[in-house]
Amino acid sequence: MAWRNLWRNKRRTYITATSVVLALVLALFMRSMQFGSYETMIRAGVNEVGNMQVHDTGYWDNKTIDRAFFTNTALEQKISSLPGVLHMLPHLETFVLASYGDKTKGVQLVGVNPEAEDLQVKISGKITSGSYLKKGQAGLVIGDKIAEYLNINIGDSLVVMGQGYEGTTAVGIYPVTGIAHFISPQMNNLMVYMDLETLQKLIFPFQPGLLTGISVYCEPGLEDQLLSTIKASVGDHFEVISWKVMLSDMLQSIKLDNLSGMVMLMILYIIVAFGIFSTVLMMTVERRRQFAVMISIGMRKGKLVITSIFESIFIALIGVVTGLILTTPALMYLYLNPIRMTGEMAAMYESFNQEPLMAFSIAPSIFFSQSLIVLSLALLSALYPIFYVLRFNVLNALRQ
Amino acid sequence: MSIIQINNLHKTYTDTKVPVKAVNGISLSIEEGEFTAIVGPSGSGKTTFLNLMGGLDTPTEGDILIGDKNIKDLNSRQLIDFRLHHIGFVFQSYNLIPVLTAIENVAFIMELQGIPKKERHQIAMELLKKTGLEGKENYRPGELSGGQQQRVSVARALASKPKFILADEPTANLDSASTEDLLNMMAELNKSENMTFIFSTHDKRVMDKARRIVTIDDGKVVSDV
Repeated sequence: MAWRNLWRNKRRTYITATSVVLALVLALFMRSMQFGSYETMIRAGVNEVGNMQVHDTGYWDNKTIDRAFFTNTALEQKISSLPGVLHMLPHLETFVLASYGDKTKGVQLVGVNPEAEDLQVKISGKITSGSYLKKGQAGLVIGDKIAEYLNINIGDSLVVMGQGYEGTTAVGIYPVTGIAHFISPQMNNLMVYMDLETLQKLIFPFQPGLLTGISVYCEPGLEDQLLSTIKASVGDHFEVISWKVMLSDMLQSIKLDNLSGMVMLMILYIIVAFGIFSTVLMMTVERRRQFAVMISIGMRKGKLVITSIFESIFIALIGVVTGLILTTPALMYLYLNPIRMTGEMAAMYESFNQEPLMAFSIAPSIFFSQSLIVLSLALLSALYPIFYVLRFNVLNALRQ
Repeated sequence: MSIIQINNLHKTYTDTKVPVKAVNGISLSIEEGEFTAIVGPSGSGKTTFLNLMGGLDTPTEGDILIGDKNIKDLNSRQLIDFRLHHIGFVFQSYNLIPVLTAIENVAFIMELQGIPKKERHQIAMELLKKTGLEGKENYRPGELSGGQQQRVSVARALASKPKFILADEPTANLDSASTEDLLNMMAELNKSENMTFIFSTHDKRVMDKARRIVTIDDGKVVSDV
């Protein structure tokens, strides 16, 4: 009966259901786009820093070269043998001054294992001139903004000078073998990559194997479990830092953006709630006499309430199902074929350290949560007929 | 055998500026199989009296015994169940459920009683046949004439197998031909099923068919013939 009641006034039901559809479509697109960009940001971030990093205890809070440590095979084997660990990338990082001609600039010098690093971070794909690093080769890959600032080209030699390990001085001169363009302007201005072993020799030539951290990459879903396992297995001498800590600024900005999205959605849903409520209100009030007759002939108020609740749910369901049918294929397509941004939009994405791609998410939670919100709004609207029927005076309605 | 026994029934409305005594000490007995008309001028209290008998309103004073139950003692939920199983209603404006077909309207009350689908369908078909609506089972109220809708309403009232049927001005919205048909049908049901009908009416044609006429004025029975 609840279903049939909806069609007493077809046009009204269609209009209400359409408002639900529009709201759901808008909400799904909005959330999918938001979550898509968050996923891209997180993926890119984790790709760079790893799911977690192992450092000497205290390094994360005080990133000094004196908190570097000497790697040992036992430690690496211990971590790599854990189930779920995909691979590890050792790093040696330090802040140095880079000079060419009469110009000097502070840069972040990062020693990497060229082949392994490239498999994960794909720096070679970002090279705009020259070539990528080779193992054992004393060359540098620098960000294009550094090259621009120092006016340095491929084949030119760059002097690097900084603090070595345990009070030594690290000074070297290396040819620029590649200039790279990273997504982030900050990285273009700051990053200089070189072969790990070469950098180790620069920072502390007396003992090989100096590292500031090991990035650990693991299988999806095992991160939390592995974090505690690795923490337990490496002992107190090492700290294990999750990407969530390393990228906490990014997570914070995601939270803030998510909050603004939720406020937008709330406004949208308030409008939809009023749409559903006005229909429910009309459907209730116009059937005052019918309710009176039904109660008179022996229908319990509880049953009447259930019928009214079902009416609200049905309207919402029509909207939700139609909305999902319309939206899911479109979002699936956009998920598989993200929109590549150009021009100013692309620049804006890059300024946020993001690839200029408008990515979409198809996380089931988005679909569930938005559908659930609409259904909850319908249930909320059904509160009116509940109170109406429970306080209903049969005689007054019959006299009307 | 008396199926309704009303003793010293009073109903005073106090929610008005001046208390209104709509029913003022009515005592009455209705026997099984009666075809009774409650008549009186507008405002005489006949609809209030009918509402009290139907358990739609509660008396200020007095008793309404239906069978062995004093409906004054029932709470609102018990009253709904009591109406469902013991009292049939026919309203002036038919008041069928517009989204249900004729047969569904008749079967609806049996659904509330928990009668299985097959059985209630069968009973509803029989009742529609008895009320001359064979072939109109799948029509919705909007597709039926006033007279036909009122017949469905009578069939619906009969469907719950009530002790009696209360009909509040059932012919008020009908033309004379439909009124005649409806009254003949109800008289026939009264005779064949021994179903007790109690009408409130202004309609001379109803009074002519009634075997007992109770006249009410100022909330009191002024004649009972």
